[in-house]
Amino acid sequence: MIFAYIDPGLGALIWQSAVAGVVGFLFYLKKSRRWIVNVFRKMFGRGPISPGAGVEISPPTVKAKIDAK
Amino acid sequence: MPAPAPSFRDPAGGCCLFNQRVLRFVNAGAIPEFEAFLQTNCARQFIAGKKFVSTRRLNEDETAALRAAPELQPVFNAQPIGAVFEHERIPFPGYPHEWPPEMLWAAGRLTLELARAALADGFGLKDATPHNILFRGSEPVFIDALSFERRHPGDPIWKPHAQFVRTFLLPLMAHRRWNLPPADIFLTHRDGLEPEEMYRWCGPLERFKPRTLSLVSIPTWLSRRADPDDQGIYRPHLLANPEKARFILESLFKRLERTLDSLRPAAQNQSAWSDYMATHSYDDPAFAAKEAFVDEALREFQPARVLDAGANTGHFSALAAQAGAAVVAVDLDAACAGAIWRRAREQKLNLLPLVVNLARPSPALGWRNGECPSFLDRATGAFDGVLMLALIHHLLVTERIPLEEILRLAYDVTNSLLVIELVEPKDEMFRRLTRGREHLHAALDVKMFEQACAPYFEIVRSLALQGTQRRMYCLKRKGDGH
Repeated sequence: MIFAYIDPGLGALIWQSAVAGVVGFLFYLKKSRRWIVNVFRKMFGRGPISPGAGVEISPPTVKAKIDAK
Repeated sequence: MPAPAPSFRDPAGGCCLFNQRVLRFVNAGAIPEFEAFLQTNCARQFIAGKKFVSTRRLNEDETAALRAAPELQPVFNAQPIGAVFEHERIPFPGYPHEWPPEMLWAAGRLTLELARAALADGFGLKDATPHNILFRGSEPVFIDALSFERRHPGDPIWKPHAQFVRTFLLPLMAHRRWNLPPADIFLTHRDGLEPEEMYRWCGPLERFKPRTLSLVSIPTWLSRRADPDDQGIYRPHLLANPEKARFILESLFKRLERTLDSLRPAAQNQSAWSDYMATHSYDDPAFAAKEAFVDEALREFQPARVLDAGANTGHFSALAAQAGAAVVAVDLDAACAGAIWRRAREQKLNLLPLVVNLARPSPALGWRNGECPSFLDRATGAFDGVLMLALIHHLLVTERIPLEEILRLAYDVTNSLLVIELVEPKDEMFRRLTRGREHLHAALDVKMFEQACAPYFEIVRSLALQGTQRRMYCLKRKGDGH
């Protein structure tokens, strides 16, 4: 159920959407970089880098901290 | 009647104060999400860290008892309540229109921390206003527990982004650029500053500075060009790739954090009063005697809750907090209140600074004056001790408040102790304030002051501060003043 009720603004919302588009493009760039790095690592006999290494999807989350304990 | 709901804007439920309990009424449809959020690692971690208000669901018997209370009938009748939750009560609520900029910054930081942590658990923060936050001492606590909802994994937009900009970033920007205290903004603008409003205040060059361009100018230009009837702007644009949507939101929160940090109020914020401790008129022995007098009174009465009125940079507030009291320190100067907040944080003191002018205390605000009670409504009878140090000459001379009125206010606020400093008309600071109106205060002396105190307070002891025209009083409230 959606209870969003605040004023999302007009110009600020359009601007956020535009920036989201640019950042979305960066997402693919970073993903591509990770893929290329992994190809080279495989060529030189090293394991692939972890999925989160090239694209920082999540910060050190609360969940991760709890799990670590 | 219960106090009006301070969060009635949220269709998911409301909140009210009833018999000193903070009750949250949640609509049936919103309960699963609310309870699911309370079970998340994010909620549990922030509750454990005392950054999120603790919450428990009332059982059926407790809820039935509340349903039977006639005072709560309007609340239960207004919407289909599915469950009632009880929150812990924050000792003394202080609102954004009473915060120094430092506290607004800290509230913004907590808002972003929570938004990021909730994202990891699949939830989104659905509003981002400083009114979601109260302070326990100097530490912010998120109180609007119903502000979280499960987010669509493919949604890359944070709807409250504009509200966060309006209520945190732009007021802090206005403070940094024009020294405009955020407290003044929130007195008249519940939802902060619109980019369009800030745009008008900025000069042509200012509009092209990077931060202004992003937060003010571009949103203003876009809103002018956009079709206001185009509802498509507000429809969710969901991405097929949830990983990408989360990456975009993570980037947004990081950018907002960087912007917020760049607007953090400077520690050396100066005002006419912020260097009072270095420039006051006492010599060292007189100041030491004053300090010892206050300390002795605090140790003798051991007040659990203290109001330091006219706290300046909080020297004596800190003394009271170190003696074990929960202290509310008020001063009309936002730079002084900010300095108190920094001191309280550094020294981990139970000390809440607020920007309040005792001669014009914060009024009740919001719909029907019911959303934020006035300062005096909150303060009356709320303290066991009141400090009024180097204050009464400002009230007497600058504000023209009669002495008896000042004592009556102190009588209303404290339940026990009043430590007050009498500043006589011959005092250097007193004379500076009178500016040729000495005749108005010619009758004020020790005898007159003690007579004025007599209906309200017993004099426990007094001490003349050597080398000054000032005298300290330790007063005990009488059972029934006039």
